[in-house]
Amino acid sequence: MYRYDVIDREFLADRSAEFRENVTRRLAGEITEDQFKPLRLMNGLYLQLHAYMLRVAIPYGSLDSRQMRGLAAIARDYDKGYGHFTTRQNIQFNWVRLGQAPDILDALAAVDMHAIQTSGNCIRNVTADPYAGATAEEVDDPRVWSELIRQWSTLHPEFSYLPRKFKIAVTAAPKDRTAARVHDIGLVLRRGRDGGLGFEVIVGGGQGRTPYVGPTIAEHLPAGRLLSYLEAILRVYNRHGRRDNKFKARIKILVAALGAEEFKRQVDEEWSRIDGALADAPDTELARIRGAFTPLAFETLPARSEAFEAARAADPAFARFVRNNVKAHKKPGYAIVEISLKAPGQTPGDASAEQMEVVADLAERYGLDDIRVTHEQNLVLPHVKLDDLPTVFAALRTAGLGTPNIGLISDIIACPGLDYCALANARAIPIAQSIARRFEDQDRAELIGELKIKISGCINACGHHHVGNIGILGVDKKGEEFYQLSLGGSGQEDASIGKILGPGMNAEQVPDAIDALVDTYLAIRQGDERFLDTVRRVGFAPFKEAVYADAH
Amino acid sequence: MPTLISLKDGVYAAAENVFADVGDEEAIPAAGPVILSLARFQAEGDALLGAGRSVGVRIQPDEAVEDLAYDLPRLALVALVFPRYADGRAYTSARLLRQRLGFRGEVRAVGDVLRMQAGFMVRCGFDSFVPADGSTPEQWAHAAGRFRHVYQRGADARAPVFEERS
Amino acid sequence: MRAVTANRLIDGEVVFWRQGAWIERFADAQLFAPDDAAGEAAVEAALKQTTVVVEPYLIDVVEAPGGWAPVSYRERLRALGPTNEPTHGKQAEGGASVDALRAAAGAARSTGRVDLIRRK
Repeated sequence: MYRYDVIDREFLADRSAEFRENVTRRLAGEITEDQFKPLRLMNGLYLQLHAYMLRVAIPYGSLDSRQMRGLAAIARDYDKGYGHFTTRQNIQFNWVRLGQAPDILDALAAVDMHAIQTSGNCIRNVTADPYAGATAEEVDDPRVWSELIRQWSTLHPEFSYLPRKFKIAVTAAPKDRTAARVHDIGLVLRRGRDGGLGFEVIVGGGQGRTPYVGPTIAEHLPAGRLLSYLEAILRVYNRHGRRDNKFKARIKILVAALGAEEFKRQVDEEWSRIDGALADAPDTELARIRGAFTPLAFETLPARSEAFEAARAADPAFARFVRNNVKAHKKPGYAIVEISLKAPGQTPGDASAEQMEVVADLAERYGLDDIRVTHEQNLVLPHVKLDDLPTVFAALRTAGLGTPNIGLISDIIACPGLDYCALANARAIPIAQSIARRFEDQDRAELIGELKIKISGCINACGHHHVGNIGILGVDKKGEEFYQLSLGGSGQEDASIGKILGPGMNAEQVPDAIDALVDTYLAIRQGDERFLDTVRRVGFAPFKEAVYADAH
Repeated sequence: MPTLISLKDGVYAAAENVFADVGDEEAIPAAGPVILSLARFQAEGDALLGAGRSVGVRIQPDEAVEDLAYDLPRLALVALVFPRYADGRAYTSARLLRQRLGFRGEVRAVGDVLRMQAGFMVRCGFDSFVPADGSTPEQWAHAAGRFRHVYQRGADARAPVFEERS
Repeated sequence: MRAVTANRLIDGEVVFWRQGAWIERFADAQLFAPDDAAGEAAVEAALKQTTVVVEPYLIDVVEAPGGWAPVSYRERLRALGPTNEPTHGKQAEGGASVDALRAAAGAARSTGRVDLIRRK
C-alpha cells in the first residue's frame, strides 16, 4: 500500500471542506443545480434513478484492510449495507443522500480515500494490474507508476476541463488484466534490449458508441519521461479534441480522424518543446513513491505446502476453488487468490458490508494486509500463503465468497444498467443473473472454460460489451428492453472489438441464445481452444445458425 | 459592469478595467487602451502600437497563442475567452503564454468564468478575471487559495508536493 | 393521463406532485388529463422550487389492470426501485399498488423480433 503522508492528508481535508461548502451553498439556494452539478460530479456524486450515487476512487484498485473496513462502515452507515465494485476498480454507493455526502467524504478521508476525479471531463482514476507486486510476469510494479500519475493528474490545472473524460491503464505484465488497449491511454511497461524500463504507449482505444483498439504511438518510451509525454498527449488532445459533439469528443475520435501517424507526429512535436527537467518527475520523487509502498514481509517458504496438498486431495470443493480462483505468485509458497463477486444470482460486483469486513480480516490475518479490485468486478488477496489457503477458502465460503468461477462463463461483467443508472436504456444485472443461474453447474462451466460475457445497459458500454467474448448490449425499443449480442471481443493483450451477431431479442431469450452459442462451441472446438479462439477460427456462421435458425 | 479582479503579488483586488473591448464591427476609440480580436489585431495592431496605444488581444479557444509569439513583447494584455466554463482550451493557452512564450503582461480570463475554476486559472498563469458569477475578490481569493498543496508544477510559482517533501 | 415527478434535492428520493406538495408513492400522485394545462403549470411551479427538487418533468401514465402505471419501463422502475434488490426502494413496502406497478406491462411490450430455438 502507498502510505499517505501529512501533505496527502491535508490535501484531502481541503477537498472535503470545499465540497461541504458547495453542498451548503446548494442547499441554501445560493447556487443553482446547473452551477452545482459540475461541482458534485467532480466529487463523484451523480443523481441516479432512485437516489444519489457516490463513486469512490480506489486508486489502481489497491486498498488495505483499514480502507476496506472504512468502505464497509460507509455502506452500513450511509447506504443500504452494500457497495458495488465497478469495471474501473472503483466502488459505488447507490443510496447516498446529498445532505450526508460531505460526511461520507470526511469518513473516506479518515482512511486516506476520496472521490476526486471519479467523474467529469478530467483524468480519471488510473487502472492497474490487480496482480501488481504479486505476479512473476511483471517487469516492475505498475502501482509505482500509477501513483505517480495519480498525483500528477490530481486537480491538474491544465487538464481538468478536457473535451471528455480520460482514462489511463497501466500494466507491467505481458498478460493484460487492465484492458489497456481499450483505454484512452494504455501503458505497457517493458524492459528494453538495453535493460532499461520503457512504456509502450497506446492511445485512442475505447468503447462507447465507436469502439477502437488503440494504436501504439511509442514502442519504448523511457520510463522516466512518462509525465512529459503524457503532458504532450493531453495537450494535443485538449487543444484539438472535438468539443462540438460529446459523442465525438473522446481522444479515440481525434486519433482516428488524424490517423495514428499524424497524431504521433503532433505529440512528438509538442513533446520536443516541453522541458523535461520541469515536466518529468525527479528521480528522487519516484524513489520516494516507491519507498512509500509498504515493503511486504514475505517469508522464505518451500514451493510445496503439505497442508495445501492434503486439503486439495481431500476436498473437491477446495480443489475446484484452487483450479479456478488461485493463481501463481512470484514468491515460493504464496498464491494470488481471486474472490468472486459473481455468485450465481448475485448482482455482479456487489459486496455486503459484512463481506467487505471478512475480506479485510482475511487480508490482515493471511494476506499481508493487501487487497485489490479487478476491472472484472472481483476482489483479490494478492499474497496468501499456500499453507493458509484452506483456512482462507473456508472463511470465504462461509461468507458467500467462495464461488469458484473466475474467468468462467458465470463470471460476468455488468454495468448497473436501468436498475440504477439514469443513462441506461435497459437493465443489465438481471440478464447477468439469469445467465449465471443457467450455467450454475460448475462442471459444465469448467468444461466450457474461459468465456467472458460482458453486459452493458446502453451504448456508453460501461459493461465493456464490445470486448466480451460474448457481448450483450441492452437497447430501448419503443419503451421496452431489447438485447443485442456480439461475438469475438477481447479486452486482453489480444484485444479486439466484437461484432454484432444478428437481430436483438428480449430478456427471456438471452439465456437460450447463450446456451446455443455454448453448445455450438463445444461441438466444434478443437483441442484446448477457448471460445474466443473458436469464433476467430470459424467465424460467425455456425453460431448465427444456432441462435437464429428459426428466423430463416 | 462586471467586476474585474486582478491578482498582483498574491493579492486579489477589484480593479478598474481601462481597456475598451472592441468588437470586430465596432470603430476603434480614438484614444485609450483597447482589446481587439486576433484577426483585427493582425490587420490594425501595428498602426495602433506605432501610435503608442496600449493594445490587448482577445484569443478564442480555437486560435493558437503561438500566432502572437512575435507580438507579445509589445502587448499589454491577452484576454483568453471561455465560451463555456467546460471549454478548457484557454488553460493550455495561458500556460503556453507564460511558460513557453514568456509573456509577462496581463492574462485575463473572460467569458463563462466561474469561481470553481479560480484555482486552475491561477495555476495556469491567469492574473486577471472577469467573473460571470458575480464573485467578489474575497470569494475569488478564497476559492483560488483553497488547497494548501499542489501535486504538480504549473505556471505559477507554487512548489509542487515533491519539492515540499524534498 | 400524466403525472409530475422529480428527485428530491436533499436525498435524491423519487417524488411525485400532489396539490403543490411532493409525495413518495406513485399511487398517491396527482393525475392530469393530457390536455389539462394544470400539468404544465405544476411543472412550472415545481421548477421554481430549486431547493426542494431537481429536474421536475411530466410522465405519461396508462391504466393497467391494478391501477394507473407509468407507460415507460424506466418510470415504472423509478416508481418501484431496482429489480435486482426487491427490498430496496419504494417497492419494499409491498402491497397492492406495488404489485400493480410490477405487473403493468408497458404500452409497447414486445415479444421480440426473432424466435429462438429452444434446445434440449
